Amino acid sequence: MPKVKIPRKSTSVDMTAMCDVAFLLLTFFILTTKFRPTEAVQIDIPSSTARIPIPDTDIMMFQIGPDGRTFFGLSDQPTRLKLLDRLASTYNFPLSEEQKEAFRVMDIWGMDIRSLPDFLSKPPADRMNVQQPGLMIDTTGGQHQVEDLILFSRQENNKLRIAIKGDKKTEYRYFDKLIQALQNRKVNKFNLITSAKTSEE
Amino acid sequence: MAEMNVASGGGHKKGAKKVRGKKMSTRVDLTAMVDLGFLLITFFMLATTMNKPKTMEVNKPAKEEEEDKKKEPPIKMSKTATLMLGARNKLYAYVSPDEIDVNTELSLDSLDYSPGGLRKYIQRRQQEVKEQWGNQDELFVMIKPLPGSNVKNIVDVLDEMTISDVKRYAILEPNDPIDSLVAVMTGQSRK
Repeated sequence: MPKVKIPRKSTSVDMTAMCDVAFLLLTFFILTTKFRPTEAVQIDIPSSTARIPIPDTDIMMFQIGPDGRTFFGLSDQPTRLKLLDRLASTYNFPLSEEQKEAFRVMDIWGMDIRSLPDFLSKPPADRMNVQQPGLMIDTTGGQHQVEDLILFSRQENNKLRIAIKGDKKTEYRYFDKLIQALQNRKVNKFNLITSAKTSEE
Repeated sequence: MAEMNVASGGGHKKGAKKVRGKKMSTRVDLTAMVDLGFLLITFFMLATTMNKPKTMEVNKPAKEEEEDKKKEPPIKMSKTATLMLGARNKLYAYVSPDEIDVNTELSLDSLDYSPGGLRKYIQRRQQEVKEQWGNQDELFVMIKPLPGSNVKNIVDVLDEMTISDVKRYAILEPNDPIDSLVAVMTGQSRK
């Protein structure tokens, strides 16, 4: 009787399929990931039962820190550039291409508009470290900077929605100032950003 | 990919006398690559922000011109409830009477933001309005934040409006005489 020869099999496991899966998932996560945007001030948002997710595009964002400093940001870069042009002509400051580029990539900022050119000509590392003073929201001395921002942005992109991100501890007096400015520009509808409530609190 | 040969005893020819080099496996060890893959997956999974922030829509009543103000018919105060949001997470609620005269008494409730406080109050008020007017949606809640209240308070109150399904509510300024009185009585600053 001839011996049945059992073929010798390798003990190593075939990793090909596993490797494929790993890289498929990796690709998925790389493509879907969206990094946390830079924040000018740490904001701890209140939670609510609201379930509407905030859209990614056409957002005009106001952030109010716990100390009342207010910051401004536009979600799309073409509108940012158009806004900057409007500001440059209104507030009379000439800007170089580098400064415009710096403004284009700035997610959120808050300072006196007249000090923008100085800020934009700083090297990027310095810009990150500077403590921004917040927008000039007071209308003393005939300044309507926040209202100008709202007006110009909306004129350049009429699909903009207004979102307000306030810290839990932000006092209403600061919030009210911003709302007054919005209402002066005939904006009566805006969105408050909250996080989803996880459990019954 | 790396499926070239599995060592097997089947393929030997007796007559072949050629000297062959030792048969090397062409299979590549993918273990390290898989390791790397999963490491990166872990990184991206942790770095990604999974829960997107939600948004709550707020409509403020338009700033009226002076002429519009006169045309607007006043709402019956007995259909309303006024919530005043104060500093230090205080919340006061009252119902203005329709007509104010010397004998008018005003009961002021001090509430908190828990379901047992504000939500109960709103639901009780809805019930009262339903009994008086036949429909609980007639209730009009006036939310008046004092400057010392914070954003969380407002979000909480607006949230309660959604939970209790209050159809009509508005954020207003506390410029009613009663509001000033309440603010003074409770030691809240109005400015």
